[in-house]
Amino acid sequence: MTEFRSPATVSQALADLGAEGALALGGGTALMILVKSGLLEPDRVVWLGRIPELRQITVRGDGALVIGAGVRLADLWRSPEVVSRYAVLAEAASQVGNPRVQAVATLGGHLAHADPRQDLAPVLLVLGASVLAAGPAGTRSLPLAGFYTGFMSTALQAGEILTGVIVPPPPPGRRAAYFRFTPGSASDYPTVGVATSLVVRGGQVVEAEVALGAGAAWPRLVPGAGEAIVGVPDHDALATAAGAVAAAADPSNDQRGSAAYKRAMARLWTQRLLSRLLGGTTPRSRLRGDPGGDER
Amino acid sequence: MIVHFRLNGEPFDADVEALTILLDLLRSRGMTGTKEGCGVGVCGACAVLVDGSPVSSCLMPVPCCEGADVWTAEGLARREPALVDAFLEHEALQCGACTPGQLVAAAGLIADPTPARDIRRYLAGNLCRCTGYAPIVAAVEESLPRAVGEVPGEAGGGGL
Repeated sequence: MTEFRSPATVSQALADLGAEGALALGGGTALMILVKSGLLEPDRVVWLGRIPELRQITVRGDGALVIGAGVRLADLWRSPEVVSRYAVLAEAASQVGNPRVQAVATLGGHLAHADPRQDLAPVLLVLGASVLAAGPAGTRSLPLAGFYTGFMSTALQAGEILTGVIVPPPPPGRRAAYFRFTPGSASDYPTVGVATSLVVRGGQVVEAEVALGAGAAWPRLVPGAGEAIVGVPDHDALATAAGAVAAAADPSNDQRGSAAYKRAMARLWTQRLLSRLLGGTTPRSRLRGDPGGDER
Repeated sequence: MIVHFRLNGEPFDADVEALTILLDLLRSRGMTGTKEGCGVGVCGACAVLVDGSPVSSCLMPVPCCEGADVWTAEGLARREPALVDAFLEHEALQCGACTPGQLVAAAGLIADPTPARDIRRYLAGNLCRCTGYAPIVAAVEESLPRAVGEVPGEAGGGGL
């Protein structure tokens, strides 16, 4: 019979998780599906929902945002700090699943579950986020870009839990957006998910990152895509970036589409996302416009 | 293990296993208004309110409800009679399988302090295969509390 623990501190949680067959439980929206389908049979469930230190959203001295791993998605997109400085993250969190999922699912569970179709990993990747992992040996921080190591696999060691996410302060002139393509129900997992963050200064793109969520075995920054649109990108530059995303896609055939379809959609929606941020048919004219602070 | 919470406004105790789901507990106690549909948190038939928010009871371990305030369709039908009337008036149901979940979602939206939430987007996670949704949206729209001076019919962001 499975044992249930609800520790009140991270150190107690780590002690509870030291036992053989122990599993950490966030909101349960992913874990309970695996339990019900017989894929997981934990001897002990350690619920992290009663740990106040994991539920905080704080702004660090250097301006970075620190989001506790136990913050629920509904609290994330309602947070004034997140809405005002990282609107792209708030908007994406408000689109995950449905309100019932958002009411219980936690940011830590969302990331540590490492289902490649999750929405917030690509967004946090382009924002340059790091994650905090606590274990018996202490707490370490690692870039989210190095957190995913394979299909549903992360760099978390046995006995470690994800305790928080650090998002660097937004640079002036950032424009960021995420698009989840859901040809079925709006509350479905995306067929492909693409996130972009650009920094626009003096009419030029000075920094750019593009990340792909669904459409690959794990969420990833796309090498070459951001570089393609640095400067004053024309249509060919956007096509090059979109081509890099399609090349980085590693999709599987499933009920959300064939691999070829997903690859084509990754290209199409990258192009649309970049066009939206840089201005439809005339990227040049849009760059001359207001460069500041548009997070959408 | 013994879990204590409030159910439909009354104290409630249950002796459950660690991974007993709330849906099974409620139905085993005769509260069959809460339905099992998909079993994976997608369809909304098993929605209940936990501390004011709709959740999927099919994925909710009962021990996570310790100390919580839980409302099912049965309790909400008593608590929100105007909402039930609006569903009847607008004929916002046909077979009825999704209706308890729709009522729970609507009650969650009514209690949501976040202004201007879009009704259709909020209810998108509650599947209905009979009505085509329009009467459900109309019933919920009519039931939303209106800000002072707001024009009837534009409450809650008003859908698409």
